[in-house]
Amino acid sequence: MKGYTDLNIELTKEQITIKEETRRFAKEVLRPASLELDKIADPEAMINHPLFMDTMKKGYELGYHTVFLPDTWGGLASDPLETHIIFEELAWGSVDFAVGIGVSCFPAFFASMVPSDRLIDEIITPFCQNTDASIIGCWGITEPDHGTDTLTPFTPEFKNPKIKGQTTATLDGDEWVIRGQKAAWVSNGTIATHCLLYPTIDESMGMSGGGICIVPLNLPGVKKGKPLDKLGQRALNQGEIFFDNVRIPKEYMLVEPDAYEAMLDITLSTANAAIGTMFVGVARAAYEEALAYTKQRIQGGKPLFEHQMIKHKLFNMFMKIEAARSLSRAAMIYNYNNTPPKIEYSIAAKVFCTDVAFEVAHQAVQLFGGNGVSREYPVEKFFRDARAGQIEDGANDSLMITAAHHL
Amino acid sequence: MPVFESKEKMVEVLGGLFNILLNDPVAGPKFAAADIVIKFNLSDPSGELYITPGDGVKGEVLWGSQDIKPSVEMTLSGDTSHKFWLKQISMPIALAKGLIKAKGPMPKILKLLPILTPAYAAYPAWAKSQGMPV
Repeated sequence: MKGYTDLNIELTKEQITIKEETRRFAKEVLRPASLELDKIADPEAMINHPLFMDTMKKGYELGYHTVFLPDTWGGLASDPLETHIIFEELAWGSVDFAVGIGVSCFPAFFASMVPSDRLIDEIITPFCQNTDASIIGCWGITEPDHGTDTLTPFTPEFKNPKIKGQTTATLDGDEWVIRGQKAAWVSNGTIATHCLLYPTIDESMGMSGGGICIVPLNLPGVKKGKPLDKLGQRALNQGEIFFDNVRIPKEYMLVEPDAYEAMLDITLSTANAAIGTMFVGVARAAYEEALAYTKQRIQGGKPLFEHQMIKHKLFNMFMKIEAARSLSRAAMIYNYNNTPPKIEYSIAAKVFCTDVAFEVAHQAVQLFGGNGVSREYPVEKFFRDARAGQIEDGANDSLMITAAHHL
Repeated sequence: MPVFESKEKMVEVLGGLFNILLNDPVAGPKFAAADIVIKFNLSDPSGELYITPGDGVKGEVLWGSQDIKPSVEMTLSGDTSHKFWLKQISMPIALAKGLIKAKGPMPKILKLLPILTPAYAAYPAWAKSQGMPV
């Protein structure tokens, strides 16, 4: 499998090399690791398996955790097109690890927007220079009672003071005090060393009265729950985090309510564009497996691929993937080049690409016949991964309502 | 009433600020080596300001339309610019609120922030010396 034909005829040699090298890493490291780890039933045992951390480390050694960070501190500083290429290839290998490595940068990425000497020394530089995955970030936004409704900036409900967050931050002298709990769906939740936390500061503003801060997770009062046992993306660790009067320096509060809603808009736009891209990779992984299988599996005296209906299905899958790549790439290039972004395009990419990944993976399972539901073949994993993607980073239905407010 | 009473005043104050930055023994060469062209599209009063790497050793401040492709483009008012350099408004908040519109890859924009530190430090005294409210 040589991968796909890139319709961008202006890719530089460097960008082509980035694609080839990332694909090699995805094929040789991420794919086999995620398939192996997927077989481990207990999610606690999964993260304790040496293969899990070895794989994270290999991603860190190549700098994929610093895609968004400036080269000033040793980040990869990828441009938007390169970022798209990298995320698609990583997720082609394993969307579990692509999300885990991608979200890890959130604390350092946001710190680099307000690069005080302290944040540079304590957060940004150590993260960029980390090559053994001993510094892992997570994004703590959803709560037990608040899922996608935490991701609805600029909607009327977001300002409803009757709707209150479950994690709060209160200023006490030179420190913020954090209390409450974040949900079981915090990616990297139980393995993270730092959390980019979105607590409520001003309850009178409803969900829009939040803040964005960095919480080192070795502070007194932090507790972590058990890793989430879930349908797909099983090599992506997720789990709850509890905050019992956790004190952080005032400087670690990066955003307060006056800018919270707008910064959330930027966060969601960045994250959704990335998720959309990654699920192009998932769709492609499923399609490529199905294409290869149908060319060698004989049914009715000839390869499946020689049956007209099968060809029709495969071409339909191919078309959807090309459309998904075009949309997600355009949305990422626009929104990663323009601040404030146009969030409706990032959400369109996320919803469209995760739906395409699910449809394509579903067809791939069907094309494999009975083998499609066997754990001997990877398509059933892609199918489960794709299903999770339709809820991850915001449930598609709700995200569409958020996006529609901008029409 | 805009904080910069005229384009000439803005050129004098902001142009002067960037010359301070580019002449800084540490930040000046760092900026030139970063190989980034910043274009500021200013309004109230309107003006186009380019900060370029110059010869790669010492950067250059250029006003008016230039035939140079910027790596990063910032669109903001003179008032926001004044507040930004006085540290009365941070970059993420200004970006989030749409007071500054930025065009260019985020890592490049973020790369600029630490390089600009000497300009932050110098601006209050510099602006005051130019008769600006601080």
